[in-house]
Amino acid sequence: MSYFIQVVVDGLSNGAIYAAIALAIVLVYRATGLINFAQGGMAVTATFVAYALTQAGVPVLLALVAAVVLGFALGALLERGVMRHFEGGDPDTAVVATIALLVVLSGLSAFFFGYEPHPFPSLFPNRTIGVLGVFVSLRSIGTITVLIVVMVALQLLFRSTKLGLAMRAVADNPQSSALSGLPVSRLLMIGWGLAAALGAIAGVLVAPQLFISPGMLDFVLVYALASAILGGLDSPVGAVVAAAFIGVVENLAGAYLDFIGDDLKIAVPFIAVIVILVVRPQGLFGRKVTVRV
Amino acid sequence: MSLLELEDVTASYGHAQVLHGISFSLPENGATGLLGANGAGKTTTLRAISGTVRTTGRILFEGRDISGLGPDRTAHLGIAHVPEGRGTIGQLSVRENLLVGAYQRRDRKQIATDVDYVLDLFPNLQERVKSNAAALSGGEQQMLAVARAFMAKPRVILLDEASLGLAPSTARRVYDAIVRLRHEAQVSMVVVEQNANLAFSVVDDATVLETGRVALHGSRDELMGMDAVRRAYLGG
Amino acid sequence: MATTPTSTARAASTSRSGSTSRWRGIAFVGVLAVALVVAPLVSSPYVNYQLSSIAVFAVAILGLNIVMGYTGQVSLGQSAFLGLGAYIAAYGILHGWPGPLTLLLCAVVPAVVGMLVALAAARLRGLALAMITLALPIVGVPLARRFDDFTGGSQGQVVSWLRAPESTGLANDQWRYYVVVLIAVVAFVLARNLVRGRIGRSFAIVKENEAVALSMGVSPYRTKVLAFTIASLLGGVSGFMYLAIVQYTSPETLVFATSINLVAAMVIGGSASIIGTALGAVYYVLVPVLAGQVNSSRTALISGAVLLAVLFLLPAGLVSLPRRLARLRSSTRRPHPSAPPTTSDEATHRASAPSATTDQHS
Repeated sequence: MSYFIQVVVDGLSNGAIYAAIALAIVLVYRATGLINFAQGGMAVTATFVAYALTQAGVPVLLALVAAVVLGFALGALLERGVMRHFEGGDPDTAVVATIALLVVLSGLSAFFFGYEPHPFPSLFPNRTIGVLGVFVSLRSIGTITVLIVVMVALQLLFRSTKLGLAMRAVADNPQSSALSGLPVSRLLMIGWGLAAALGAIAGVLVAPQLFISPGMLDFVLVYALASAILGGLDSPVGAVVAAAFIGVVENLAGAYLDFIGDDLKIAVPFIAVIVILVVRPQGLFGRKVTVRV
Repeated sequence: MSLLELEDVTASYGHAQVLHGISFSLPENGATGLLGANGAGKTTTLRAISGTVRTTGRILFEGRDISGLGPDRTAHLGIAHVPEGRGTIGQLSVRENLLVGAYQRRDRKQIATDVDYVLDLFPNLQERVKSNAAALSGGEQQMLAVARAFMAKPRVILLDEASLGLAPSTARRVYDAIVRLRHEAQVSMVVVEQNANLAFSVVDDATVLETGRVALHGSRDELMGMDAVRRAYLGG
Repeated sequence: MATTPTSTARAASTSRSGSTSRWRGIAFVGVLAVALVVAPLVSSPYVNYQLSSIAVFAVAILGLNIVMGYTGQVSLGQSAFLGLGAYIAAYGILHGWPGPLTLLLCAVVPAVVGMLVALAAARLRGLALAMITLALPIVGVPLARRFDDFTGGSQGQVVSWLRAPESTGLANDQWRYYVVVLIAVVAFVLARNLVRGRIGRSFAIVKENEAVALSMGVSPYRTKVLAFTIASLLGGVSGFMYLAIVQYTSPETLVFATSINLVAAMVIGGSASIIGTALGAVYYVLVPVLAGQVNSSRTALISGAVLLAVLFLLPAGLVSLPRRLARLRSSTRRPHPSAPPTTSDEATHRASAPSATTDQHS
């Protein structure tokens, strides 16, 4: 039983990372109707900034803050400088543009830091604590806590602030929002910036475990995309629930099914997504959208 | 000085020119109508004013040329466009839609008062203030669209086909509220309307458009007295 | 949308000078055929290997172009089908299956796998296919490592086959060149006929507007499944060709990065264009070689930057470069061109464009 709980908590911790990237994907999708495949690349770039800072002796927490700020700036800049050119045009071209960004960003990281993984200092002590006979790692608890705080903050931003209201309005109906005087393009920039900042947090939290490299988040991106689709793509709550579900299920499968093991864990969310979507194409929490001419 | 003045305005979508030199003016506290068949350029004229279509010519608002400004800038200057098809923000509640309308305002207390005012103006909305806009009936959505435009405290409201798809009694109620709004809130209006009876209940004068050009301009009474206009727009 | 004016312009120019351009086309094909036949005889084994690689990846990109360029469904999993085809070919060779049977299985098995994936993914709206296909190489790599009875695990499979028959007097690299180029030519001819026929038209309609497709009796779902199945089939065939020239495959063959690079090459060459596909393959093979001579850690950076530059400046790919240049030249000659290039206007009036198309009626 103790082992089971440990596996679940570690799964939730992974799920928290997937949730952060999934939320970032949902954020951009809702604002622009676009799936940003560069989400992982943006997060890795910001994490490399944190890495460089820690190498220079800056404390991890401070490096995290710097990565978040720079991540925000990077996201906003890429929206303004690159993606704006493709918004409102052919969605396939825009998606390819995000792929190009992914290639450029990982190329940049590789250019400065190479492809080999580097160890990354953890924000949390590498210890486990025992509660009622159950041992869980501080890292897992810390990751889950940070992500819960971030999600509550996002929820407050979207539900209780004028900026959040404006962002929701633009995501839902950009034309009408512009007619009401909302600065649509600035709000889109903020949306991309927030998404990239979220990615930076996820990157710094997961880097000690995965080791930092340009391709560090490729796998996480798959989990995050799976969570986002499973949650219905336009539902932040759905993405978080789906991410937690995927994190726990794949960890349980990896721990208890010998055939799956650690290497094939990644197939679990993929199969779960296919099965669920065949039954429910709009995702678990998504809205049904009818096709219009 | 007129509040809004269009001088020889043309507009095109890509290579298709839709307006071929429209001119008319709207006095302070006035209400003018745009009449015409489908495709005459009524909607495009409104879009030209709010800056959502490419134009040439001059569009003067309070004496300043606003052509080329985007919709968020013209909204900032005091032009509220209620687009055809209502354009409410479906996933936001009625109250949130109203707050989006007031986005550029800073006077919190007055915003709260104005929310109460429009909910009094449209009692239907009062009952559904927490519902998502997408869940409202067509008439309620139209009321919400007008109310949201008012929340920006605009100098002029551009109203596009507010009766479209509504039952006659509902359309009448929407227009009664618009008339009230015009007089109580002293906001000017440019009204595009297929149903000229409804339009003439609000406007003082009107311009008739034909294939992107001004065909006729006259006061409400002049136009209502013309046989051609009666046959075309007033049903006999 | 972007292709419509250019394709009508092209149609107009062919009708104006139909016979000359037809003769020019035949001459072009003739010269190309001679060049393809003669090239390996006069080139070094290294060059032949590069040329053969171009043929291999041309077929992989051709499949990608059918599902993405022609049908508008983003696929990020083409490398998985390439790898699957290569593994099937390796398995067949190591078990002594006849070559043609192996090739057939390399086509059929990936096609069936692709169809099953598409049957599930094409039900979803929007970019779900992109996301599901993204998972294929990412799941495929650990799968390939795991099933080492079939794949040889991380070590991969080394084969030694397709030696030049004595009677031909050819070297191995020349013989393999002819085999893969022949397969590529057949694939290109079949694909060209496919996209120009009834099925190609249904691809284009689905790409343009699914609701319109439905109203015309074309099922978007079945069309997407068909396009993806063909793409997977061609991916598998390119895997067979890959093994023919490389003689080795491992989990590295199907990594995600390969899929991304194939997408990049397709877009750079020219989306929805047969010639663009070939140009894309040339780019795919040559750019790493050229960039590697500069600095191998810059390859990704360079190819990403080229892709972005093409998207900004030449959205229809390298294949549109001559047309684009011709238009630039003619617009500099005439100060007031009747049809100015629209890209910059579209960018500035982006916000109004989508709604403008829907309610022009009043």
